Amino acid sequence: MIGVRDFSIELGGRRVLDHVDFSPLPGRLTALAGPNGAGKSTLLKALCGILPGTGKPDPRRVAYLAQGARAAWGMTVEEIAFLGRIPHGDRAPEPVARALALAGVSTLAGQRIDRLSGGEVRRAMLARVFATEPEVLLLDEPTADLDPKAAFSIMRLLGETAAAGRTVVVVLHAIELALRYADRLVVLDRGGITADGAPLAMLPAAAAAFGLGFGQDGLPHLLPD
Amino acid sequence: MRGIRARQAALALALLLLSRVTAEAALRVVSLDLCTDQMLVLLAPQEIAGLSPLARDPALSAVAQEAAHLPVVRPSAEAVLRLHPDLVLAEPYGAALVVTALRTLGLRVVTIRDPQTFGGIRAEITRLARLLGVRARGAVLIAAMDAVLAGLPRPTARRTAIVLEPRGFAAGPRSLAGAVLRAAGYRDAAPGGWLGLERLLVRPPDLLVLPEAAGTPSLATDLIESPALGAIARRTVPAAWLMCGSPFAARAAARVAAR
Amino acid sequence: MIRLFVLGLALLFAASLLVGSAGVGLPAPVILWQLRLPRTLLALLVGGGLGVSGAALQGALRNPLADAGLLGISGSAALGAVIAFYWGFAAAFAPALPLSGMLGAGLGAAALLALAGRAPTGPSLILAGIGLSAAAAALLAFALALAPNPYALAELTFWLLGGVADRTLSDCALAAPPIVLGVVILLRLGAGLDALSLGEETAASLGVSTARTMRGVALGTALAAGAAAAAAGGVGFVGLVVPNVLRPRLGERPAVLLLPSALAGAALLLAADILVRIAVLVLPLNAEPPLGVLTALIGAPFLVVIARRLGQ
Repeated sequence: MIGVRDFSIELGGRRVLDHVDFSPLPGRLTALAGPNGAGKSTLLKALCGILPGTGKPDPRRVAYLAQGARAAWGMTVEEIAFLGRIPHGDRAPEPVARALALAGVSTLAGQRIDRLSGGEVRRAMLARVFATEPEVLLLDEPTADLDPKAAFSIMRLLGETAAAGRTVVVVLHAIELALRYADRLVVLDRGGITADGAPLAMLPAAAAAFGLGFGQDGLPHLLPD
Repeated sequence: MRGIRARQAALALALLLLSRVTAEAALRVVSLDLCTDQMLVLLAPQEIAGLSPLARDPALSAVAQEAAHLPVVRPSAEAVLRLHPDLVLAEPYGAALVVTALRTLGLRVVTIRDPQTFGGIRAEITRLARLLGVRARGAVLIAAMDAVLAGLPRPTARRTAIVLEPRGFAAGPRSLAGAVLRAAGYRDAAPGGWLGLERLLVRPPDLLVLPEAAGTPSLATDLIESPALGAIARRTVPAAWLMCGSPFAARAAARVAAR
Repeated sequence: MIRLFVLGLALLFAASLLVGSAGVGLPAPVILWQLRLPRTLLALLVGGGLGVSGAALQGALRNPLADAGLLGISGSAALGAVIAFYWGFAAAFAPALPLSGMLGAGLGAAALLALAGRAPTGPSLILAGIGLSAAAAALLAFALALAPNPYALAELTFWLLGGVADRTLSDCALAAPPIVLGVVILLRLGAGLDALSLGEETAASLGVSTARTMRGVALGTALAAGAAAAAAGGVGFVGLVVPNVLRPRLGERPAVLLLPSALAGAALLLAADILVRIAVLVLPLNAEPPLGVLTALIGAPFLVVIARRLGQ
């Protein structure tokens, strides 16, 4: 239902994605991992249809969270969540209330987003994604700026969302989160997919993509030195 | 009818005299401003070394036709200096920097007064005629102006008029406009200064006199098209005639008084 | 809230008909209908158009300093109008005046939004706007100097300072359709501006086309601010002040500010015009202070406050 076939794109004179085939599946939490510049965010945008030459899916069904998403104005968390209703053209309060609760920001509903911490902003932005009630969630580093505990709880929430039958694709920088929560790990390196499968099995490929060495215990370093 | 005929006779005489009068001394004179341009063209066209470019603008200058064949000079000290004038004429609030520069450089600069009455205009013509060495021509010019004024109706306090200038400005009785209205037999009803249509309509005058600049669209004069002024009689006068205290003001008065 | 605005507008409307340089109270019918009514209507139209233009520009550019006057859009409009007026097009065909005002504003807005699309950061945008307004003001003076117009200085004063005094109902009739159309276009851009506050890519993922929203803002602003400038000259700061006053009270979401900015802009400009008329009655002035001078006196301190807040 969503995906790219033999997809290539050049941005700023550089080939960012090169003959990529990728389709996420409903009911799965798929993680995209790889070093900086591998093409993860670009692949996510291609799925979302916001790159030139990509088909535009129904915005009511597919929601997207940009990397480091911020709001230009000091809107309240609730107002941000309501922006998720724009594709539906309504201002229905129930999905927004549910989304605020899901993202754990109900108590912050009346707070201005420009007065919140990085983690709270991220949750508010997630609430906006949930408020659309989409079938496909494309999230670019939803756990950035979060402390480990908050990151775990977000990943757990996304896992539950996938388990409820949604398609969830997450770009992750921290590969340990992918190992722990994702159903499927796709490793990108220099514009191509180098590994695609169950997270643990993909570990050596991921480690190679990140340029990580293996430790004395035979396992790769999980974080760059 | 008799008044008009007498006036025509006086003007014909004046023109005859003007054509016969020759210069008493040959000076090279530069004028920096519009009002001095007009005086110089009227008094001593043969002495002109340079007029201001405004002199040729038919919207501003009553002598635009004559000036078309006379030399003009940009009002800058450098350009004026190149002409080696014996005398430079300027207005009091005109090109002040140029005047100072020329005086510093040793040129003789005379600033005219801007007369606001016909008496003042006579005095100024006499003074300038003496300066330019054309006394006889000055006397003739004054006589011609007086002949025009003599043909106008006697002043009365009953009828009121206002000269409405751009953007609702009305200079009032103590200005040249006031003198023109008085000479034409009207009382100037403007308090002096900015008037605006609203204050004008509180006590509307019997006649509105509108200075008209030769066919140039202007927002400033556009306001007289307001339907609010529709009920008041109006008469247009070339704006150039009201621009300076000069004999042309008498022609403006004649136009205002004309039935 | 909206009801409060409408009530305030009604009160100002009544006051505006009762105050003028002819005095306070019910004036002669000709003054009431031919002078005060047109000036009141024009102040409402121009203020409303400028207010909503400011709110839409600020939303589209994600910058609280955006304003049709500050960014040079009003200046380009005045330039267009001046060319039409003094070179005789407006005399031959009356709607040429607002049309060329809109054309000038449209070109200015398009240039600016194209530039802002690449670098929508505060200082660069404002600098571009300053450049545009300086160029427009210079060309306006140049156009007036070229036009065979003996009153060039009086005219320049009008276009740079603005005002709604001594207008006719036909001036209003000429200005009203484009301003109203522009306001309607801008009022319908709420969702697009809201989505844009999350960035262009997120907006696209929400099904909102940035290009279409920007085109709407450019068109609406060109109509509303362009026709306003053609009718009233350079009345500035209304679009800057109004949304920034409303934001702490109504919230920062761009869409909630649009209609209130139109209403408050209309109220602000009408109030300022009444103030100008009171000033000539109670102060030893021999002329009404230009309306644009008053709005600038109100607006300039605001600019400082907002700029300081942005710096923090």
